[in-house]
Amino acid sequence: MRLRPFALAEPESVAEAVEILARLDGDARVIAGGTALVPTMRLGLVTPDRLVSLHRIPGLVQIREDKGALEIGAMTSLAALARHDAVRSGWPLLAQAAGRVATPAIRSTATLGGNLCYAEAASDPAPALLCFDTQVRVADSVGERVVPIGEFFTGFYETAVAQGEILTGVSVPAVPSGARSGYVKFCPRSAEDKPLIGVAALLALDAAKRIGEIRIALGGAAPTPMRARRAEATVKGQELTDSVIRGAADAAAAEAEPLSDLMGSASYRREMIRVWVRRLLLSLRSG
Amino acid sequence: MIAIDFTLNGRPCRIELPVHWTALDLLRDGLALNGTKYGCGEGVCGTCTVLLDGEPVRSCLVLASRLRGRAVVTVEGLGHDGEPDRLQAAFARTGAVQCGFCTPGMLLSARALLAANPMPTEHDVREALAGNLCRCTGYTKIIEAVLAASAG
Repeated sequence: MRLRPFALAEPESVAEAVEILARLDGDARVIAGGTALVPTMRLGLVTPDRLVSLHRIPGLVQIREDKGALEIGAMTSLAALARHDAVRSGWPLLAQAAGRVATPAIRSTATLGGNLCYAEAASDPAPALLCFDTQVRVADSVGERVVPIGEFFTGFYETAVAQGEILTGVSVPAVPSGARSGYVKFCPRSAEDKPLIGVAALLALDAAKRIGEIRIALGGAAPTPMRARRAEATVKGQELTDSVIRGAADAAAAEAEPLSDLMGSASYRREMIRVWVRRLLLSLRSG
Repeated sequence: MIAIDFTLNGRPCRIELPVHWTALDLLRDGLALNGTKYGCGEGVCGTCTVLLDGEPVRSCLVLASRLRGRAVVTVEGLGHDGEPDRLQAAFARTGAVQCGFCTPGMLLSARALLAANPMPTEHDVREALAGNLCRCTGYTKIIEAVLAASAG
């Protein structure tokens, strides 16, 4: 089955891309890897007249360290991110989450920018990026602005990227030294599926072996990926005892605002958040 | 219409095609290479998998224009002079082919795995083939075949 015909623009710079977007009429869409957009088009859920593909813009495919931060271009594939040495050693949580998205042939094509702009509530990379207080770079015809990841997801499949803007990349701050981190996803249907819920966490102990730094983020737990700030507050400054971990899991389950869908009810999601936050913190405690 | 140049199974290829065609439309309808199958059309089933610069991709999701300047390998590009390659021979010997609909995608996903990891564990094989659905559910023989074709 063919896609419904559309016009295609393939700009070679961000400036050219935003200039094209600014003057296009009709329903224009930006396409990155296409792993989300193309099936959506095939199903007729979106019927763009024009696509603006970002694949010829050279600066958008890159991973580099700059002053301790990790700079990732929007068109970087999830596979490239998952296997990149500097990401694996410096930001293992991000490499792990990117490497858990769908299947190898999706990760080779899907991009980090596309994943964020699609704004799937059960995104795997999003909780990892939330744990790092990532900055998202968004360009329009005037210039570039930076959106904190905590303000990026504005609603169910909605983001802070406005009409005519393009997400160009993200900047991931350095991880606290000695931090432990992990990402777990619960897939009740099949292993390559998007998760019912996903949990990312990063923690660092202080000199007294108490939790000096703790970040917990959830996917599939609300209309958007979210930080579990109340769960973090219950753990911060504490020793990671069984009861503290249970308290964090209960707090995360309580602050989640899950939706019900064909994969699972809201109450089931809430219980699974409780289970998987607990399991992840237990595994991080044992190193 | 757009014109694209790319490398197809080791040979240069130039073709004109409508801009809204996917790589799968190009292979099957533009070039009559029907080894690559149309399954779900949503990137889920894996039977349209081809290699793009050595990496497995879903040809049903990739716009044909993305092939420009790159190297594509389809199932027709495996083997030499009509003889099956090591992986194809292992599939035949092991009985890894039932209806055959998933086989092209299985072969190319396995080819990508073995190129990156010549001695995979069974777990590695399962991970690499996770996105390829066998409607006959003949996974056991497929995994056996990939392991048999590996260097280990």
